Formats: sequence, C-alpha cells, structure tokens
Amino acid sequence: MLLEMKGVEKRFGGMTALRQGDLEVRAGEVHLLMGENGAGKSTMMKIIAGMQKRDGGQFLWQGKSVDFSNPKEAAQVGIAMVHQESLLAPHLSVAENIFLGREIPGPFGTVNRRKMLAEATRLIAQYGFRLQADWMVGRLSPAGKQLVEICRAIQNGTSLLIFDEPTSSLSEAETHEVFRIVRDLRERGTGVIYITHRMEELRSVGDKVTILRDGATVHSEALASLTRDRMIQYMVGREVNAIYRRDPLPPGAPLLEVTGLSTKALLRHVSLTIRAGEIVGLGGLMGSGRSELCRAIFGLDPVETGSVTVCGKRVSLRNPREAVAAGVALIPEDRQRTGLARELPIAWNVTMANLEAVSPGGVIRHAEEARATQKAIDRLRIRCENGQQRAGRLSGGNQQKVVISKWVNRGARVFLFDEPTRGIDVGAKVEVFEVMDQLAREGAAILMVSSELPELLQVADRILVMSQGHMVGELPRGCSQEDIMRLATVPPASGETLQ
Amino acid sequence: MIKRLLPFLALLILFVVLSVASPSFLTAQNLSSVVRQTAVFNILALGMTLIIISSGIDLSVGSIVALGGLAGTMAMAKGVPIPIGVLIGIATGLLCGFINGILITQLRIIPFIVTLGMMGVLRGFALIISDGMPVHDVPKGFQFLGEGTVFGFPFVLLVLIVCAVIVHFILEHTRLGRYVFAIGSNPDAAIYAGIPVNFHTVAIYALCGGLSGLAGLIEASRLSTGQPTAGQGYELQAIAAVVIGGGSLRGGEGTVIGTLVGGFIMGLLANGSDLLGINPYVQQALIGAMIIVFVAVDELRKRKSYS
Repeated sequence: MLLEMKGVEKRFGGMTALRQGDLEVRAGEVHLLMGENGAGKSTMMKIIAGMQKRDGGQFLWQGKSVDFSNPKEAAQVGIAMVHQESLLAPHLSVAENIFLGREIPGPFGTVNRRKMLAEATRLIAQYGFRLQADWMVGRLSPAGKQLVEICRAIQNGTSLLIFDEPTSSLSEAETHEVFRIVRDLRERGTGVIYITHRMEELRSVGDKVTILRDGATVHSEALASLTRDRMIQYMVGREVNAIYRRDPLPPGAPLLEVTGLSTKALLRHVSLTIRAGEIVGLGGLMGSGRSELCRAIFGLDPVETGSVTVCGKRVSLRNPREAVAAGVALIPEDRQRTGLARELPIAWNVTMANLEAVSPGGVIRHAEEARATQKAIDRLRIRCENGQQRAGRLSGGNQQKVVISKWVNRGARVFLFDEPTRGIDVGAKVEVFEVMDQLAREGAAILMVSSELPELLQVADRILVMSQGHMVGELPRGCSQEDIMRLATVPPASGETLQ
Repeated sequence: MIKRLLPFLALLILFVVLSVASPSFLTAQNLSSVVRQTAVFNILALGMTLIIISSGIDLSVGSIVALGGLAGTMAMAKGVPIPIGVLIGIATGLLCGFINGILITQLRIIPFIVTLGMMGVLRGFALIISDGMPVHDVPKGFQFLGEGTVFGFPFVLLVLIVCAVIVHFILEHTRLGRYVFAIGSNPDAAIYAGIPVNFHTVAIYALCGGLSGLAGLIEASRLSTGQPTAGQGYELQAIAAVVIGGGSLRGGEGTVIGTLVGGFIMGLLANGSDLLGINPYVQQALIGAMIIVFVAVDELRKRKSYS
C-alpha cells in the first residue's frame, strides 16, 4: 500500500471542503478519482501533494503517518502533481521550467544551464514529446505546457504521480500520449492518481475508481466492474438521465448565413447557414478553427474576406458591439476569463449586455433591473441565494447559466456556444442542453462547438466538421463518433469541401 | 456593508483618541482646517475612485492640479470674471483627462505608463506657460473658493459634498458607473458583452481630469496664487485614500464613501501628528505604514471570505 487516507477533513473558514476523505492507492496502480466540481477532489490532492494541511483524519504514506507542510516535503518522499492550470513561468525555457526550484548548481552559486538543457532534452526524448528544451514556455500551446508540467513532475524518482484533469486541453493524439506515459509509469511500479471528468477516456487507463461527493468518499471499486450509469449515480447521488435526447424542430428562416469567411490566421472560405430553431453542432480537432470561426462571426478577430448575415442583415464584423447589436451572442469557451465578471453580482452580469433597457437616459432603474434578473434566474433555473450574490460564488453550471442569461436578457437570435459544458457537472450539463433546446424552440439559431463527441451527437440536429481552417463536411443526425473523427482528421484538400 | 466597517471604525477611533489626547483637536477652527487641508486631495480621490474601479490609474492628477490652477488664475489675472476663470480651470483639467483617455484607448498603452508620461508632460507645460513663476495677480474674491465660509462651514466642504454626491450617483446609479465596474472586474467580458469600453474609459479619465482641475483651483485659491509646482505628490495621496477606503487596484471594487473615509483618515493622521507634536519625519513613515496595514487587513478579510 502506497498511500492511505482515512476520514481526512479540511475546512476553509466556515466551509467544509472535505469531511470524510478516504483513499487507498497501491504501487503500480492507476487510480481514477471522480466527482462533480466541488466534491473535494482537488482539496484531497492538494493535501497529498503538500499544498494544504489537513484539519483531521489519517494520512499514511507507505504505512507511516505524514503531515506535509509544503510541496517540497511531499516531493522529497516521491509525490508529484501535474496541475490542471499551468503553473509555469512563461518567460523561461522548457528546461528552466522543468528544473524550476531545483536547478542543477554550477560553481559559485550559479546555475548549470548546459547540464539542465541536456538533462531536459534527455527526458523529453525518453518520453517522445514534441518539445525542445530551449523553447520559451510562453509560446507553447496549452497542450505543450501540459507536457512540460508532466516532465517537471516525473523527473526524479517519483513513486506517486497525481494528474489533475491532464487531458482537458489536449488533442486526441496528445491524450493518447498522456495515456502512454501513464501506462509506462504503471509498469515501472509508480502509483498514479488521475482526476478526470471525461468518462469515455478512462476505460483504457484505469485500474480502480474512487468517487467523491460533497466532500466525502462515497464509493471505491475496480473500474472493470463499474458501469457508467452507476458511476454517474454515485457522483450525483441520484439517478440521472445522462443520455439527453432532443427532438428536432422543423427549421425556420435562415438567421445566420456565413459565406466564404477567411481570416489571416486560420479560416479558409468557411460557409454555413443556420436556421431558426436549429442546433447545429461543430466538430473538429483542437486547432481546426472552430473557436476561431465563432470569434470571427462575433467580430473579435479581423476578417480578410467573406460576409456574415444575421437575420437577413449584413454584419460588418469589425467588433463585438456590432455583432451584439445584430443579435449575435457568444458563450465563450473560457468562461472565467471572457464570459463572467466574477466579482460582480449576478444581476449586473445578467443585464450587462442590455443595460440600456433598464437605464433610460443613462440612469439605472434598480427595480426594473431586479425584475429582469429574477426573470432570468427563474427561466434558466439559476441556483443562487439572490440576484445580488457574486457570480463567481456559483457552481460552474450556474455560472454558465448566468453567462447565457446575459444573452437571453438581450434577446439575442443567434447563439454561438463554444464548449458550453466545459468544467460543468454531469447534472448541470443536461440543464444547459435543455436551455439550448428551449432557445431553439423560441426561434433562436444555435451553433454549438464541442470536443465531446457524444454531446454533439445528443444535442445537434446536424453536425458540421472543420479541419485546418476549412469546413470539410456535414453529417446528419444519427451519425457516429467515428464518422466525425474520420472527417475531422481528413486533410481538407482531399476532403469534400462545402463551398 | 459590515465587511467594510474597518475604515469607518478606524476613523471613529482616530477621532475619539485625538479628541481625548489633544484639547485643541475638537475645535471648530481645527476641524475646519482639516477639511480645508484635505479638500484638495479628497476631490482628486473621488476621480481616482472611478479610475481605480475600472482597474486603471491616473498618476497625472497632481500635474493637472498645477495646470488647472494656473490656467484659471492666469485667465483671472487677465481680467476674466471669477466664475469663468473657474470654468477655464476645470475645462483645462477635463481636456488633460480626455487626452489621457484617448492615449490609453487608442495607443493601447497601459494607464500607468500613459499617465506617468503625462505627469511629466503636463508639469513641464505648467512650468513653460508660467515661465516657472507663480501667478500672484489673483482677484480677492477668488479666495472664497478655498477659504470662504457658509453658515459656519468651510465652503470647500460644500464643494466636496456636491462632488461626492455626483460621483456616488454616477457609480451606483448610472450606466457609466456600472460599466466602470464591468470594465474593471473583467475587461474581456465587457468587450464580449458589446459594451463600448473605449468610450467609457475616455469618459472617466476626462471626468477625473475635470475634478483635478477643480482641485487645482481650490489649491490656487488657498494659496491665492497659481503655482506651477502645486500638487506635487498629490496623486499618491489620492491613490492612498482610495485604497484605504477599500478600493482595489485590481479593479472592480471601491466606493465613494470608503474613499472619503480613507481621505479623512489620512487627514486626521497628519493633523493629529501635528497637534501631538509628532516629528513630521515620523508622520510620513506613520502614514505610509497605515496604508500597508489597512490594505493588509482588507486582503485578509477577502481571502477569508473567498476560500
């Protein structure tokens, strides 16, 4: 037994993040840790990695009780963690980041750069990463950064490695690379704890699963015998119909028409039409141009050629203001950074895109604002104390609903959902789908970008696929994941292009 | 509101302690002198509150104090009626702030750098137009602005209250104020929501400039001269008042009442140190330390409520 936790507790102020954390990890075992956001997974891992101290319970490392007061102490016994959000120094090189905090010393208190570079190069080659030791980390893609994080963690005689959602920003190929590393580690007898939200990808790597809910361990079982439905049930605490099915509507008039859209960066003559009442899925690999298409339609990225027509009127594509005025809404991929004003009340977020409606002459009518907010809260079933609560305090799903409500309150007609379920609990995902369905029923046109293929298949009426900036094909409802992947990986020159 | 109690409490304690410690503190004469002394940077701090909430900063307000005061007094020295002279001073400040806003939004340079540069440019401009000499030729009536009394209260207190009410109204009850919070809390989300971010950014810098021009006139009125060297270091006083009052340099947070409380805390610290005969060198260190203490306590409170 490598690690044993019994009844571990952690409180922050008055809030209990973990009240009954149990976990057992053996050497050479890949242990999946699952649970909804806020279930206590990250807190538990931070205690193991020495980033936080527990308030109660037992924590045994190789049979001995331990109590790390910082990550260095945990590292000394062989525990390392790959973080979800990159904790790297962007202005330093890959090698410098790998050895950050434990630089190889040279003479007179200097740092031996050459040796670090050589060591890093060896490490990268050993795992076959597409990285170079002297690259600047700030220039790397999210996936590249993730690989650097992994190099950092596995470099020195690690006996337990924790992955916190390592693949959420990785492409298909890179995900396989991570899995290969995980298997490799397992064969060498390293224990691995792997936190993830994506259930489909687990089967190929995991040995055992531990599920947390509301700060307590609720179940632990061998992965082979645990079905997906039961897993969800343990996570949510009730039976959930995770398979969402939408009944498509007869589509109405075209609301969004994109013709021959090209950008300097990536997009090449992209065209598409979405009608009122339609939910159109947009699939493709990372970097295929899906988000870029949304950004271009919304006026965020400069467009070289092509036109966008919304509700029959041409949009200039110069800035988001004109897109918003035309009735376009973007629910961005990166909710925290571009969607939500976390420190501001829910009400202020709800009315942000349509403040004019409650502030004739520039003066805000607070009663009208409160009414509009309450309407949005009721309609999207946002679970909150009241409209004055800070938006950042809500769960991921409810935060997403606040972002959506901003556009519902504006009366937008064309919705661009970019990865709408990212970082959202299983239960809340279905609610987001229901909101999308409801909007479509009220005559909105919806474009939905998602990397989760099962979601696209469940929600979309038809699925467009992009590859390397081109629109390479369209698939009907009822196609398979393989159909989408086949199109997405086809080089655009030989694929059927939709032009 | 409870969580913002600390600055109020500190002000109250400071007030009580000083009343007990020094017999000359709680006199009409002393209190009105505190009000007059603090009026200038309190008015600056009002404009700074708007800017800091938008996660910006304006380091040029001290130089605008000089330029606004000079423009007004030079006009009056040429025979322009006092009210027109005052308007000229305010308009000068407004123009300076407008230029700040345009540079920030059009060149996309961060406010710290733009206003640092403008601090030097405007100071230099003040010295150039006055040839480095103070303007003495000021009409007698102009002194009323800084030194006058209405119903026993200093006239500047009235001016301060009117400005505070206006800025408070803007922040809490207008679209402009709401956008200030939105821009400061998450500028990207503001752009994504279709808010005209540039327009409103220019508006608040212009507003802050106008208030700084007014502050410059009050300063000139109190000195009965237009001084090209007036207002040096006031920008830091104004920033300190906002920060002590709970404003966050990360943006999205701040209130007019907090800023005024912060301004008066600084005023009382200076006044109290004078009355108690504390060495002015020690005073500086004391006020500096207080800024750190207040912000540290506020940070602790936030950390507690967030995790």
